Amino acid sequence: MLSENGWVNFWRVLLLVLILVVWQWGDVVNNWLVADFEKSWRKALTIQILEPFFISKPNMIWARFLELGCFTDSKGAWITSQEGGFAGCLAGNTNNLWAATVATLRNTFWGFLVGVGSGVVVGLILGRSDFLAKVFEPFIVAFNSLPRIALVPLIVLMFGLGDASKIMTAWVIVFFIVFFSTFEGARSVDRDHINVARLMGASDWQVTWTVVIPSTLAWVFAVLTPALSFSLIGVIIGEFIGAQIGLGKIIIEAEATLETADMMVALFVLMIVGVGLALMIRRLQAYLLRWQSQFSERA
Amino acid sequence: MTEVSNGARSRIVLNELTKIYGSGGGQVPAVDAVSFDVREGEFVALIGPSGCGKSTILNMMAGLIPISDGEILIDETQVITGTPTPKVGYVFQRDTVFPWRTVRKNIGLGLELNRVPKAQREAEVDRLVERAGLGGFEDAFPITLSGGMRQRVSLMRTLIMRPEILLMDEPFGALDTHTKLEMHKLLLEIWNKEKQTVVFVTHDLGEALTLSDKIIVLSARPGRLKEVFDVPFERPRDAVSLRETPEFSALFSKIWHSLGEEFRRTSAEG
Ligand SMILES: Nc1ncnc2c1ncn2[C@@H]1O[C@H](COP(=O)(O)OP(=O)(O)OP(=O)(O)O)[C@@H](O)[C@H]1O
Ligand SMILES: [Mg+2]
Repeated sequence: MLSENGWVNFWRVLLLVLILVVWQWGDVVNNWLVADFEKSWRKALTIQILEPFFISKPNMIWARFLELGCFTDSKGAWITSQEGGFAGCLAGNTNNLWAATVATLRNTFWGFLVGVGSGVVVGLILGRSDFLAKVFEPFIVAFNSLPRIALVPLIVLMFGLGDASKIMTAWVIVFFIVFFSTFEGARSVDRDHINVARLMGASDWQVTWTVVIPSTLAWVFAVLTPALSFSLIGVIIGEFIGAQIGLGKIIIEAEATLETADMMVALFVLMIVGVGLALMIRRLQAYLLRWQSQFSERA
Repeated sequence: MTEVSNGARSRIVLNELTKIYGSGGGQVPAVDAVSFDVREGEFVALIGPSGCGKSTILNMMAGLIPISDGEILIDETQVITGTPTPKVGYVFQRDTVFPWRTVRKNIGLGLELNRVPKAQREAEVDRLVERAGLGGFEDAFPITLSGGMRQRVSLMRTLIMRPEILLMDEPFGALDTHTKLEMHKLLLEIWNKEKQTVVFVTHDLGEALTLSDKIIVLSARPGRLKEVFDVPFERPRDAVSLRETPEFSALFSKIWHSLGEEFRRTSAEG
């Protein structure tokens, strides 16, 4: 009746519905168990994790989503019918869902860009110069062995609560990922490829442009996906430690005010953002590396 | 000037060429006092067992690795390591097509490096694509090509520089017999027109006999000059029908015998 793909989708939808149902009404079972058998062994069966205090409920999350996103007011009435409308609502809450998402995305993008850019440049330079590689090696090893997260409070102290500290946090994480990959790539450039260019009269610069950089970029493109997700991680952590705006800020505030629904809204938006970014970067990667076997049509 | 009986001048002269890899205790003698010369427009095959230093000799000719002793003269000028001359083209033993460049951009590499204007470059590339029978694959990446097609790209990439001297290191070593014969046809066609001076390294005696004017047999490692055979077959040659002549078989078995001793020495060693 259904194709294999159809069945896959059927089970996916069923599983989603099941999760939502348990999430929405699971606590009823819980309450019943606790109420009737307060002191009995059945108490052990009550699943604390279904407690709405911790995980909220889909309908509450949806309501908070509409409110934080300036679709409705706090009573659930559509915002367009209110005074000031959508714009007024946005202005009234600096960390509304839209502003927070835009801020987090913007900083993720810049952290990614700066991290990849600097990682590639430093990786290429050290990868092609044995002398510099030796000089810098102990510093890089030392710095790299430091958990980057431990630096975040210092970064916030130095760069303040604004965007700069988030970009810096993303940068210190992304930089090393890209640097190490570029470094490896620059060291493993095929000698014969260089010889081919040299024999055709290529200058040092031309060898760099036509051989070293293209063959190293393959290594860079291969880490674009982790670089982007780590950039997002960096920004969120930066926002946890100190921020005025951002999805991380919504989460950390919700923790303080015990508003799990708000936290869930932010987590869902993050999930969607993460999936979207991953899809985008994968397409970019497939295009840039279309000459490699695993991305070519043939494979 | 080294004048030879038929009047053609020597373009490449090897004088007691020696190569020892490594230093101190770990020295590996790879090439031992090899001397020969290659005349203008001559097609010379260099044949010998694996590890006898054939690639090493070609690398020294191309100026890619330093010479330990002796000398190489190309047009009476000493080859100096690290200073390539545009008149020498080199087709490597390994597949060295740039995987990130399309067929067109691989073939056009040399012209691009030498800043030939785009229109002229494209015209030249189109001509070579046509000649190599790669039409329709101009914009394909090497990963989607067969081994034979990739080797054709390598060859055309070298030929676009119009080298007067062509060094080829087992260019068809990885190809099946049929594809190999196709490549022989293509190479002979080009060579008949342009008469490059060629040094062609191979393991394959049939290939050497099909293509060359002279076969130089090297001994097992360290490579020494063992014997030189003239290949008097008429040109233009047909890669397939040539193999069916009795002259081919006779010369084949004669060289095979000389070569056989060296292959036995190699297998006895390792
Ligand atoms: N870079 C190197 N360092 C040390 N020894 C080397 C190096 N390159 C080659 N050799 C040695 O020199 C000898 C000759 O090598 P070469 O590659 O010239 O052989 P070849 O005749 O081309 O063999 P094949 O037919 O298998 O390609 C071999 O014994 C090899 O181990
Ligand atoms: Mg070799």
